[in-house]
Amino acid sequence: MKTAVVAAVLGVTLVGVLVVNGWSMGSRVPVVGTPAEDFQLVDLNGNPQRLGDYRGKVVLLNFWATWCKPCTTEMPAMQRTYDKLREKGFVVLAVNELEDETEVREHIRQFGHTFPVLMDRDNKVANQFGVYGLPVSFFIDERGVVREYIKGGLLTEQKIYEVVSRMQNQEPPKAASLK
Amino acid sequence: MSVWQRSLATIILGSWLSVVGVPPHASASCGAVSCFVTIGSQQQVAMEGLLTVNGIYSYTPMRLLPGTNGVIPGIDTSQRQLILDHHQETRTITQMATLDLNYGITERWGLQITIPYMWRTHHHIDGIGEDGPNGEGESTTFSSDGLGDMRVGLKYNLLPTLRSMVVLGFGVYLPTGVTSAKDSTGALMEPTTQLGRGQVGLNPTIYQTYELIPHRLNQFLFAGYRHTFRNNAGYQFGDQWDVNGGFNLVTVPWFVLTAQLNYRYMVHDNFSSSLLRSATPADAPDFPGEPVVLDPNIQNRAVPTTGSTFLAFTPGFQISLEGMMNSAWTKMTSAYFYAQVPVARDSNNSLAQGTSFIFGLTRSFQMLTPSS
Repeated sequence: MKTAVVAAVLGVTLVGVLVVNGWSMGSRVPVVGTPAEDFQLVDLNGNPQRLGDYRGKVVLLNFWATWCKPCTTEMPAMQRTYDKLREKGFVVLAVNELEDETEVREHIRQFGHTFPVLMDRDNKVANQFGVYGLPVSFFIDERGVVREYIKGGLLTEQKIYEVVSRMQNQEPPKAASLK
Repeated sequence: MSVWQRSLATIILGSWLSVVGVPPHASASCGAVSCFVTIGSQQQVAMEGLLTVNGIYSYTPMRLLPGTNGVIPGIDTSQRQLILDHHQETRTITQMATLDLNYGITERWGLQITIPYMWRTHHHIDGIGEDGPNGEGESTTFSSDGLGDMRVGLKYNLLPTLRSMVVLGFGVYLPTGVTSAKDSTGALMEPTTQLGRGQVGLNPTIYQTYELIPHRLNQFLFAGYRHTFRNNAGYQFGDQWDVNGGFNLVTVPWFVLTAQLNYRYMVHDNFSSSLLRSATPADAPDFPGEPVVLDPNIQNRAVPTTGSTFLAFTPGFQISLEGMMNSAWTKMTSAYFYAQVPVARDSNNSLAQGTSFIFGLTRSFQMLTPSS
Protein backbone atom coordinates (compact mmCIF):
# COMPACT_ATOMS: atom_id res chain seq x y z
CA MET A 1 0.00 0.00 0.00
CA LYS A 2 2.78 2.35 0.99
CA THR A 3 4.65 1.49 -2.21
CA ALA A 4 1.57 2.31 -4.27
CA VAL A 5 1.16 5.66 -2.52
CA VAL A 6 4.79 6.60 -3.02
CA ALA A 7 4.63 5.51 -6.66
CA ALA A 8 1.51 7.62 -7.16
CA VAL A 9 3.15 10.66 -5.59
CA LEU A 10 6.20 10.26 -7.82
CA GLY A 11 3.99 9.80 -10.87
CA VAL A 12 1.98 12.92 -10.14
CA THR A 13 5.20 14.83 -9.47
CA LEU A 14 6.64 13.69 -12.79
CA VAL A 15 3.53 14.69 -14.71
CA GLY A 16 3.43 18.03 -12.92
CA VAL A 17 7.06 18.68 -13.67
CA LEU A 18 6.60 17.94 -17.37
CA VAL A 19 3.49 20.13 -17.56
CA VAL A 20 5.18 23.05 -15.83
CA ASN A 21 8.19 22.79 -18.05
CA GLY A 22 6.31 21.93 -21.21
CA TRP A 23 5.16 25.47 -21.89
CA SER A 24 8.76 26.57 -22.04
CA MET A 25 10.09 23.57 -23.93
CA GLY A 26 12.98 24.61 -26.12
CA SER A 27 12.95 24.06 -29.85
CA ARG A 28 15.81 22.50 -31.71
CA VAL A 29 18.57 24.71 -33.08
CA PRO A 30 17.74 25.91 -36.63
CA VAL A 31 19.44 23.81 -39.27
CA VAL A 32 22.24 25.63 -41.10
CA GLY A 33 21.02 26.35 -44.60
CA THR A 34 17.38 26.87 -43.59
CA PRO A 35 15.56 30.18 -43.10
CA ALA A 36 15.73 31.72 -39.65
CA GLU A 37 12.35 32.04 -37.99
CA ASP A 38 11.20 35.65 -37.76
CA PHE A 39 10.61 37.28 -34.39
CA GLN A 40 9.89 40.67 -32.86
CA LEU A 41 11.43 42.13 -29.71
CA VAL A 42 11.69 45.57 -28.18
CA ASP A 43 15.08 47.28 -28.03
CA LEU A 44 16.51 49.40 -25.22
CA ASN A 45 14.89 52.52 -26.73
CA GLY A 46 11.49 50.89 -26.59
CA ASN A 47 11.28 50.42 -30.36
CA PRO A 48 9.98 47.13 -31.74
CA GLN A 49 12.51 45.34 -33.94
CA ARG A 50 11.86 42.42 -36.25
CA LEU A 51 14.52 40.10 -37.64
CA GLY A 52 12.80 40.44 -41.01
CA ASP A 53 13.51 44.21 -40.96
CA TYR A 54 17.17 43.36 -41.61
CA ARG A 55 16.60 41.37 -44.78
CA GLY A 56 19.31 42.39 -47.24
CA LYS A 57 21.97 42.57 -44.54
CA VAL A 58 24.20 40.00 -42.89
CA VAL A 59 22.98 39.62 -39.32
CA LEU A 60 25.00 38.42 -36.34
CA LEU A 61 22.28 37.31 -33.93
CA ASN A 62 23.93 36.96 -30.54
CA PHE A 63 22.25 35.70 -27.34
CA TRP A 64 23.83 37.03 -24.14
CA ALA A 65 23.43 38.18 -20.54
CA THR A 66 25.40 40.56 -18.31
CA TRP A 67 26.14 37.78 -15.81
CA CYS A 68 27.61 35.58 -18.56
CA LYS A 69 31.34 36.24 -18.56
CA PRO A 70 32.11 34.73 -22.00
CA CYS A 71 29.24 36.81 -23.41
CA THR A 72 30.63 40.09 -22.15
CA THR A 73 34.16 39.04 -23.12
CA GLU A 74 33.28 38.68 -26.80
CA MET A 75 31.17 41.81 -27.07
CA PRO A 76 34.09 44.21 -27.68
CA ALA A 77 35.05 42.12 -30.74
CA MET A 78 31.43 42.32 -31.91
CA GLN A 79 31.48 46.10 -31.38
CA ARG A 80 34.70 46.58 -33.36
CA THR A 81 33.44 44.60 -36.34
CA TYR A 82 30.07 46.37 -36.15
CA ASP A 83 31.85 49.70 -36.29
CA LYS A 84 33.89 48.66 -39.32
CA LEU A 85 31.22 46.81 -41.30
CA ARG A 86 27.90 48.49 -40.46
CA GLU A 87 28.09 50.60 -43.61
CA LYS A 88 28.83 47.47 -45.62
CA GLY A 89 25.62 45.59 -44.97
CA PHE A 90 26.38 44.07 -41.57
CA VAL A 91 24.42 44.37 -38.34
CA VAL A 92 24.71 42.93 -34.85
CA LEU A 93 21.52 42.10 -32.95
CA ALA A 94 22.40 41.37 -29.32
CA VAL A 95 19.45 39.59 -27.69
CA ASN A 96 19.58 39.88 -23.93
CA GLU A 97 18.07 37.02 -21.98
CA LEU A 98 15.83 37.31 -18.94
CA GLU A 99 17.36 40.47 -17.45
CA ASP A 100 16.15 43.77 -16.13
CA GLU A 101 16.35 46.69 -18.55
CA THR A 102 18.11 48.89 -16.00
CA GLU A 103 20.92 46.41 -15.53
CA VAL A 104 21.36 45.90 -19.27
CA ARG A 105 21.25 49.63 -20.02
CA GLU A 106 23.96 50.25 -17.43
CA HIS A 107 26.16 47.54 -18.90
CA ILE A 108 25.75 48.85 -22.46
CA ARG A 109 26.48 52.40 -21.31
CA GLN A 110 29.54 51.32 -19.35
CA PHE A 111 31.07 49.45 -22.28
CA GLY A 112 29.93 51.85 -24.98
CA HIS A 113 28.14 49.34 -27.19
CA THR A 114 26.16 50.87 -30.02
CA PHE A 115 24.63 47.87 -31.79
CA PRO A 116 20.95 47.16 -31.26
CA VAL A 117 20.21 45.38 -27.99
CA LEU A 118 16.91 43.51 -27.94
CA MET A 119 15.22 42.41 -24.74
CA ASP A 120 13.98 38.78 -24.63
CA ARG A 121 12.38 39.05 -21.17
CA ASP A 122 10.21 35.98 -21.68
CA ASN A 123 12.95 33.78 -23.05
CA LYS A 124 10.68 33.08 -26.05
CA VAL A 125 13.14 33.89 -28.83
CA ALA A 126 15.90 31.89 -27.12
CA ASN A 127 13.52 28.93 -26.97
CA GLN A 128 12.61 29.52 -30.60
CA PHE A 129 16.27 29.18 -31.55
CA GLY A 130 16.94 26.25 -29.20
CA VAL A 131 19.25 28.30 -26.99
CA TYR A 132 19.79 26.91 -23.51
CA GLY A 133 23.35 28.00 -22.84
CA LEU A 134 25.09 31.31 -23.38
CA PRO A 135 26.63 32.74 -25.47
CA VAL A 136 25.24 31.51 -28.76
CA SER A 137 25.60 33.25 -32.12
CA PHE A 138 23.84 32.78 -35.45
CA PHE A 139 25.05 34.30 -38.68
CA ILE A 140 22.10 34.96 -41.01
CA ASP A 141 22.63 35.98 -44.62
CA GLU A 142 20.91 38.67 -46.67
CA ARG A 143 18.12 36.28 -47.63
CA GLY A 144 17.40 35.35 -44.03
CA VAL A 145 19.07 31.95 -44.16
CA VAL A 146 21.11 30.65 -41.23
CA ARG A 147 24.66 30.16 -42.48
CA GLU A 148 26.64 29.60 -39.28
CA TYR A 149 25.93 28.61 -35.68
CA ILE A 150 28.55 29.16 -32.98
CA LYS A 151 28.19 27.90 -29.44
CA GLY A 152 30.63 27.44 -26.62
CA GLY A 153 33.48 29.35 -28.23
CA LEU A 154 34.27 33.04 -28.04
CA LEU A 155 33.69 35.20 -31.09
CA THR A 156 36.77 37.07 -32.27
CA GLU A 157 37.10 39.89 -34.74
CA GLN A 158 38.85 37.59 -37.17
CA LYS A 159 36.17 34.94 -36.90
CA ILE A 160 33.42 37.44 -37.53
CA TYR A 161 35.28 38.92 -40.54
CA GLU A 162 35.82 35.45 -41.98
CA VAL A 163 32.20 34.46 -41.75
CA VAL A 164 30.80 37.76 -42.99
CA SER A 165 33.28 37.86 -45.85
CA ARG A 166 32.35 34.34 -46.89
CA MET A 167 28.67 35.12 -46.76
CA GLN A 168 28.92 38.38 -48.62
CA ASN A 169 31.09 36.81 -51.31
CA GLN A 170 28.16 34.50 -51.85
CA GLU A 171 30.07 31.25 -51.31
CA PRO A 172 27.75 28.23 -51.56
CA PRO A 173 26.16 27.52 -48.19
CA LYS A 174 27.44 24.58 -46.22
CA ALA A 175 25.34 21.47 -46.67
CA ALA A 176 22.34 21.67 -44.42
CA SER A 177 23.18 19.80 -41.29
CA LEU A 178 21.46 19.13 -38.05
CA LYS A 179 23.42 20.78 -35.29
CA MET B 1 18.34 -16.47 -17.43
CA SER B 2 21.21 -15.92 -15.01
CA VAL B 3 21.50 -12.86 -12.81
CA TRP B 4 24.26 -11.42 -14.99
CA GLN B 5 22.29 -12.01 -18.18
CA ARG B 6 19.32 -10.26 -16.63
CA SER B 7 21.54 -7.39 -15.56
CA LEU B 8 23.05 -6.99 -19.03
CA ALA B 9 19.64 -7.08 -20.67
CA THR B 10 18.43 -4.42 -18.29
CA ILE B 11 21.41 -2.20 -19.03
CA ILE B 12 20.81 -2.47 -22.78
CA LEU B 13 17.11 -1.90 -22.37
CA GLY B 14 17.63 1.04 -20.14
CA SER B 15 20.36 2.69 -22.20
CA TRP B 16 17.99 5.22 -23.87
CA LEU B 17 17.22 6.69 -20.49
CA SER B 18 19.54 8.94 -18.61
CA VAL B 19 20.42 9.17 -15.06
CA VAL B 20 20.75 11.70 -12.43
CA GLY B 21 22.25 9.98 -9.44
CA VAL B 22 22.41 10.55 -5.73
CA PRO B 23 25.18 8.42 -4.42
CA PRO B 24 24.06 7.06 -1.05
CA HIS B 25 22.24 3.91 -0.11
CA ALA B 26 20.58 3.02 3.13
CA SER B 27 19.58 0.05 5.17
CA ALA B 28 18.01 -0.31 8.55
CA SER B 29 19.16 -3.68 9.91
CA CYS B 30 22.51 -3.17 11.61
CA GLY B 31 21.82 0.29 10.30
CA ALA B 32 24.20 1.94 7.93
CA VAL B 33 23.02 4.84 5.84
CA SER B 34 24.50 7.79 4.03
CA CYS B 35 23.28 11.25 3.17
CA PHE B 36 21.11 11.65 0.11
CA VAL B 37 21.31 15.31 -0.73
CA THR B 38 20.67 16.72 -4.21
CA ILE B 39 23.82 18.38 -5.50
CA GLY B 40 23.20 20.35 -8.67
CA SER B 41 26.51 19.71 -10.39
CA GLN B 42 25.89 15.98 -10.00
CA GLN B 43 22.34 16.06 -11.37
CA GLN B 44 22.73 18.20 -14.48
CA VAL B 45 24.01 17.17 -17.88
CA ALA B 46 27.39 18.77 -18.46
CA MET B 47 27.80 20.77 -21.67
CA GLU B 48 29.28 18.89 -24.59
CA GLY B 49 32.93 18.13 -24.01
CA LEU B 50 32.85 19.39 -20.43
CA LEU B 51 34.05 17.14 -17.63
CA THR B 52 32.77 18.08 -14.18
CA VAL B 53 34.56 16.47 -11.28
CA ASN B 54 33.01 16.38 -7.81
CA GLY B 55 34.98 15.36 -4.76
CA ILE B 56 32.53 14.82 -1.91
CA TYR B 57 33.03 13.89 1.74
CA SER B 58 30.08 12.90 3.91
CA TYR B 59 29.79 12.03 7.57
CA THR B 60 26.69 10.15 8.71
CA PRO B 61 26.10 9.01 12.29
CA MET B 62 23.35 6.60 13.30
CA ARG B 63 22.05 6.08 16.82
CA LEU B 64 18.98 4.78 18.59
CA LEU B 65 15.94 7.01 18.84
CA PRO B 66 14.44 7.67 22.26
CA GLY B 67 11.89 5.03 23.14
CA THR B 68 13.57 2.32 21.03
CA ASN B 69 15.81 -0.43 22.28
CA GLY B 70 17.59 -1.39 19.07
CA VAL B 71 16.79 -5.09 19.34
CA ILE B 72 16.68 -6.43 15.79
CA PRO B 73 17.09 -9.76 13.98
CA GLY B 74 20.49 -11.23 13.32
CA ILE B 75 21.30 -12.18 9.73
CA ASP B 76 23.60 -15.17 9.33
CA THR B 77 24.33 -15.47 5.63
CA SER B 78 26.64 -18.46 6.00
CA GLN B 79 23.94 -20.55 7.72
CA ARG B 80 21.06 -18.82 5.90
CA GLN B 81 19.41 -18.04 9.20
CA LEU B 82 17.24 -15.12 10.21
CA ILE B 83 17.31 -15.01 13.99
CA LEU B 84 14.72 -12.77 15.62
CA ASP B 85 15.77 -10.48 18.48
CA HIS B 86 19.40 -11.54 18.24
CA HIS B 87 21.22 -8.18 18.06
CA GLN B 88 20.98 -4.96 19.97
CA GLU B 89 22.19 -2.00 17.95
CA THR B 90 24.26 0.76 19.47
CA ARG B 91 25.68 2.97 16.76
CA THR B 92 27.09 3.21 13.25
CA ILE B 93 29.24 5.92 11.76
CA THR B 94 29.75 6.05 8.02
CA GLN B 95 32.19 8.30 6.29
CA MET B 96 32.35 8.38 2.55
CA ALA B 97 34.65 10.04 0.06
CA THR B 98 33.09 10.06 -3.38
CA LEU B 99 34.59 10.86 -6.74
CA ASP B 100 31.80 11.82 -9.10
CA LEU B 101 32.56 12.38 -12.77
CA ASN B 102 30.09 13.97 -15.17
CA TYR B 103 30.90 14.25 -18.86
CA GLY B 104 28.81 15.86 -21.60
CA ILE B 105 28.87 13.45 -24.52
CA THR B 106 26.62 15.66 -26.62
CA GLU B 107 24.53 18.73 -25.89
CA ARG B 108 21.85 16.52 -24.38
CA TRP B 109 23.52 13.26 -23.36
CA GLY B 110 25.78 12.90 -20.39
CA LEU B 111 27.72 10.11 -18.78
CA GLN B 112 28.18 9.85 -15.02
CA ILE B 113 30.49 7.64 -13.00
CA THR B 114 30.41 7.65 -9.21
CA ILE B 115 33.14 5.97 -7.19
CA PRO B 116 32.70 5.85 -3.41
CA TYR B 117 35.30 4.96 -0.81
CA MET B 118 33.84 4.26 2.60
CA TRP B 119 34.88 3.99 6.21
CA ARG B 120 32.35 2.37 8.48
CA THR B 121 32.42 1.64 12.20
CA HIS B 122 29.60 -0.22 13.87
CA HIS B 123 28.90 -1.38 17.39
CA HIS B 124 26.20 -3.75 18.58
CA ILE B 125 25.48 -6.49 21.10
CA ASP B 126 25.54 -9.84 19.34
CA GLY B 127 24.12 -13.18 20.44
CA ILE B 128 21.28 -12.05 22.71
CA GLY B 129 19.92 -15.09 24.48
CA GLU B 130 22.94 -17.09 23.45
CA ASP B 131 26.15 -15.46 24.66
CA GLY B 132 27.15 -14.17 28.08
CA PRO B 133 26.38 -15.74 31.45
CA ASN B 134 22.87 -14.25 31.48
CA GLY B 135 22.23 -14.28 27.77
CA GLU B 136 22.93 -10.58 27.55
CA GLY B 137 25.04 -11.11 24.45
CA GLU B 138 28.54 -10.04 23.55
CA SER B 139 29.72 -6.55 22.62
CA THR B 140 30.95 -6.59 19.06
CA THR B 141 32.63 -3.89 17.08
CA PHE B 142 33.17 -3.69 13.39
CA SER B 143 35.38 -1.44 11.39
CA SER B 144 36.04 -1.58 7.71
CA ASP B 145 37.07 0.65 4.88
CA GLY B 146 37.16 0.16 1.17
CA LEU B 147 35.45 0.67 -2.11
CA GLY B 148 31.68 0.89 -2.13
CA ASP B 149 29.39 0.06 -5.02
CA MET B 150 30.24 2.13 -8.06
CA ARG B 151 27.52 3.67 -10.15
CA VAL B 152 27.54 4.22 -13.90
CA GLY B 153 24.78 6.10 -15.61
CA LEU B 154 23.50 7.99 -18.59
CA LYS B 155 21.63 11.27 -18.44
CA TYR B 156 19.43 12.92 -21.03
CA ASN B 157 18.51 16.57 -20.94
CA LEU B 158 14.88 16.30 -21.98
CA LEU B 159 13.64 19.87 -21.88
CA PRO B 160 16.58 22.23 -21.99
CA THR B 161 15.90 25.94 -22.01
CA LEU B 162 17.75 28.86 -20.46
CA ARG B 163 15.26 28.88 -17.67
CA SER B 164 14.44 25.26 -17.04
CA MET B 165 15.75 21.79 -17.34
CA VAL B 166 14.44 18.27 -17.02
CA VAL B 167 17.00 15.51 -16.92
CA LEU B 168 16.12 11.85 -17.13
CA GLY B 169 18.64 9.43 -15.83
CA PHE B 170 19.29 5.76 -15.64
CA GLY B 171 22.09 4.34 -13.56
CA VAL B 172 23.40 0.95 -12.67
CA TYR B 173 25.05 0.19 -9.36
CA LEU B 174 27.86 -2.28 -9.81
CA PRO B 175 28.73 -4.74 -7.04
CA THR B 176 32.27 -3.45 -6.57
CA GLY B 177 31.90 -2.86 -2.84
CA VAL B 178 33.46 -5.01 -0.18
CA THR B 179 31.08 -7.70 1.10
CA SER B 180 33.44 -9.90 3.09
CA ALA B 181 34.37 -7.71 6.05
CA LYS B 182 34.42 -9.39 9.46
CA ASP B 183 33.67 -8.12 12.95
CA SER B 184 35.91 -8.16 16.02
CA THR B 185 35.09 -11.84 16.68
CA GLY B 186 36.05 -12.86 13.18
CA ALA B 187 32.49 -13.46 12.04
CA LEU B 188 31.26 -12.25 8.67
CA MET B 189 29.31 -9.04 9.13
CA GLU B 190 25.75 -8.75 7.97
CA PRO B 191 25.00 -7.49 4.46
CA THR B 192 23.55 -4.23 5.73
CA THR B 193 26.83 -3.29 7.37
CA GLN B 194 29.10 -4.31 4.52
CA LEU B 195 30.42 -1.59 2.23
CA GLY B 196 28.75 -3.06 -0.84
CA ARG B 197 25.43 -4.76 -1.53
CA GLY B 198 26.91 -7.65 -3.44
CA GLN B 199 24.58 -7.31 -6.38
CA VAL B 200 23.64 -5.06 -9.26
CA GLY B 201 21.16 -2.27 -8.62
CA LEU B 202 19.06 -0.24 -11.04
CA ASN B 203 18.44 3.43 -10.47
CA PRO B 204 16.16 5.51 -12.72
CA THR B 205 15.92 9.16 -11.77
CA ILE B 206 14.45 12.46 -12.83
CA TYR B 207 15.75 15.93 -12.03
CA GLN B 208 13.97 19.18 -12.74
CA THR B 209 14.97 22.78 -12.19
CA TYR B 210 13.35 26.11 -13.04
CA GLU B 211 14.63 29.65 -12.65
CA LEU B 212 11.91 31.41 -10.69
CA ILE B 213 13.86 34.64 -10.84
CA PRO B 214 16.46 34.20 -13.60
CA HIS B 215 19.96 33.92 -12.26
CA ARG B 216 18.76 34.71 -8.76
CA LEU B 217 16.38 32.06 -7.46
CA ASN B 218 15.69 28.62 -8.77
CA GLN B 219 13.78 25.60 -7.58
CA PHE B 220 14.61 21.99 -8.11
CA LEU B 221 13.01 18.59 -7.71
CA PHE B 222 14.61 15.21 -7.77
CA ALA B 223 13.07 11.75 -7.65
CA GLY B 224 14.86 8.46 -7.77
CA TYR B 225 14.13 4.79 -7.36
CA ARG B 226 16.61 2.05 -6.62
CA HIS B 227 16.06 -1.65 -7.03
CA THR B 228 18.73 -4.11 -5.95
CA PHE B 229 18.71 -7.73 -7.03
CA ARG B 230 19.18 -10.55 -4.57
CA ASN B 231 22.84 -11.26 -3.91
CA ASN B 232 24.59 -14.61 -3.73
CA ALA B 233 24.14 -14.71 0.03
CA GLY B 234 20.38 -14.72 -0.47
CA TYR B 235 19.95 -11.17 0.79
CA GLN B 236 18.01 -8.56 -1.14
CA PHE B 237 18.01 -4.93 -0.09
CA GLY B 238 14.60 -3.34 -0.20
CA ASP B 239 13.49 -0.95 -2.88
CA GLN B 240 14.33 2.64 -2.16
CA TRP B 241 12.50 5.82 -3.14
CA ASP B 242 14.05 9.27 -2.83
CA VAL B 243 12.28 12.58 -3.37
CA ASN B 244 14.14 15.84 -2.86
CA GLY B 245 13.04 19.39 -3.48
CA GLY B 246 14.45 22.78 -2.72
CA PHE B 247 15.66 26.20 -3.71
CA ASN B 248 18.95 27.90 -4.58
CA LEU B 249 19.32 31.60 -3.91
CA VAL B 250 22.16 33.55 -5.55
CA THR B 251 22.93 36.21 -2.93
CA VAL B 252 26.04 37.60 -4.63
CA PRO B 253 27.45 36.06 -7.83
CA TRP B 254 29.94 33.90 -5.93
CA PHE B 255 27.76 32.77 -3.00
CA VAL B 256 24.64 30.63 -3.26
CA LEU B 257 22.42 29.65 -0.35
CA THR B 258 20.51 26.43 -0.70
CA ALA B 259 17.79 24.64 1.20
CA GLN B 260 16.03 21.39 0.47
CA LEU B 261 13.77 18.76 1.93
CA ASN B 262 14.82 15.16 1.51
CA TYR B 263 12.46 12.24 1.80
CA ARG B 264 13.48 8.62 1.66
CA TYR B 265 11.22 5.58 1.83
CA MET B 266 12.76 2.14 2.16
CA VAL B 267 10.89 -1.10 1.64
CA HIS B 268 11.77 -4.04 3.88
CA ASP B 269 14.82 -6.06 2.98
CA ASN B 270 14.30 -9.69 2.12
CA PHE B 271 16.40 -12.70 3.08
CA SER B 272 16.20 -16.21 1.76
CA SER B 273 16.57 -18.16 4.99
CA SER B 274 15.20 -20.31 7.72
CA LEU B 275 13.60 -18.58 10.71
CA LEU B 276 14.76 -18.80 14.31
CA ARG B 277 14.33 -16.77 17.47
CA SER B 278 16.74 -16.06 20.27
CA ALA B 279 16.40 -18.10 23.42
CA THR B 280 14.61 -16.37 26.30
CA PRO B 281 14.46 -17.09 30.06
CA ALA B 282 11.23 -18.95 29.36
CA ASP B 283 13.33 -21.55 27.51
CA ALA B 284 15.18 -22.49 30.73
CA PRO B 285 17.05 -24.72 31.34
CA ASP B 286 18.21 -24.09 27.75
CA PHE B 287 18.85 -20.42 28.46
CA PRO B 288 21.21 -19.00 27.56
CA GLY B 289 21.36 -21.32 24.57
CA GLU B 290 21.14 -21.85 20.89
CA PRO B 291 18.45 -19.98 18.95
CA VAL B 292 15.14 -21.81 18.69
CA VAL B 293 14.08 -22.93 15.24
CA LEU B 294 10.68 -21.63 14.22
CA ASP B 295 10.72 -22.66 10.56
CA PRO B 296 13.63 -24.68 9.10
CA ASN B 297 12.55 -24.13 5.51
CA ILE B 298 14.63 -21.79 3.39
CA GLN B 299 12.27 -19.24 1.90
CA ASN B 300 12.13 -15.55 1.14
CA ARG B 301 11.34 -13.59 4.27
CA ALA B 302 10.92 -9.89 4.93
CA VAL B 303 13.50 -8.74 7.43
CA PRO B 304 11.68 -7.08 10.32
CA THR B 305 13.11 -3.75 11.50
CA THR B 306 14.31 -2.97 7.99
CA GLY B 307 12.24 -0.58 5.96
CA SER B 308 12.05 3.01 7.08
CA THR B 309 10.95 6.51 6.29
CA PHE B 310 13.12 9.54 6.73
CA LEU B 311 12.46 13.23 6.20
CA ALA B 312 15.20 15.81 6.58
CA PHE B 313 15.78 19.49 6.09
CA THR B 314 19.11 20.28 4.48
CA PRO B 315 20.45 23.82 4.43
CA GLY B 316 23.74 24.59 2.77
CA PHE B 317 25.78 26.95 0.71
CA GLN B 318 28.05 26.98 -2.33
CA ILE B 319 30.98 29.29 -2.95
CA SER B 320 32.31 29.95 -6.43
CA LEU B 321 36.06 30.14 -5.93
CA GLU B 322 36.43 31.65 -9.40
CA GLY B 323 33.96 34.35 -8.42
CA MET B 324 36.01 35.20 -5.38
CA MET B 325 39.44 35.07 -6.96
CA ASN B 326 40.22 34.95 -10.65
CA SER B 327 43.13 32.61 -11.23
CA ALA B 328 44.01 29.43 -13.10
CA TRP B 329 43.62 27.52 -9.82
CA THR B 330 40.08 28.66 -9.21
CA LYS B 331 38.73 28.56 -12.73
CA MET B 332 35.34 26.78 -12.87
CA THR B 333 35.78 25.65 -9.26
CA SER B 334 33.29 25.73 -6.41
CA ALA B 335 33.11 24.45 -2.86
CA TYR B 336 29.95 23.54 -0.99
CA PHE B 337 28.66 22.42 2.38
CA TYR B 338 25.38 20.86 3.52
CA ALA B 339 24.01 19.73 6.86
CA GLN B 340 21.21 17.17 6.66
CA VAL B 341 19.01 17.58 9.74
CA PRO B 342 16.38 14.92 10.50
CA VAL B 343 12.83 16.20 10.78
CA ALA B 344 10.91 12.96 11.03
CA ARG B 345 12.21 9.42 11.31
CA ASP B 346 10.73 5.99 11.57
CA SER B 347 13.44 3.38 11.97
CA ASN B 348 11.50 0.28 13.03
CA ASN B 349 13.39 0.01 16.33
CA SER B 350 16.75 0.02 14.55
CA LEU B 351 19.34 2.76 14.31
CA ALA B 352 18.23 6.07 12.84
CA GLN B 353 20.24 8.61 10.89
CA GLY B 354 21.35 11.66 12.84
CA THR B 355 22.49 15.02 11.55
CA SER B 356 24.87 14.42 8.68
CA PHE B 357 27.38 16.65 6.96
CA ILE B 358 28.59 16.94 3.39
CA PHE B 359 31.58 18.88 2.10
CA GLY B 360 32.37 19.03 -1.57
CA LEU B 361 34.57 20.54 -4.21
CA THR B 362 33.64 20.71 -7.87
CA ARG B 363 35.71 21.70 -10.86
CA SER B 364 34.99 21.60 -14.56
CA PHE B 365 37.37 20.99 -17.43
CA GLN B 366 36.61 21.67 -21.07
CA MET B 367 38.02 18.53 -22.63
CA LEU B 368 36.73 19.03 -26.17
CA THR B 369 35.47 22.04 -28.08
CA PRO B 370 31.73 21.62 -28.62
CA SER B 371 30.74 20.90 -32.19
CA SER B 372 28.95 23.82 -33.89
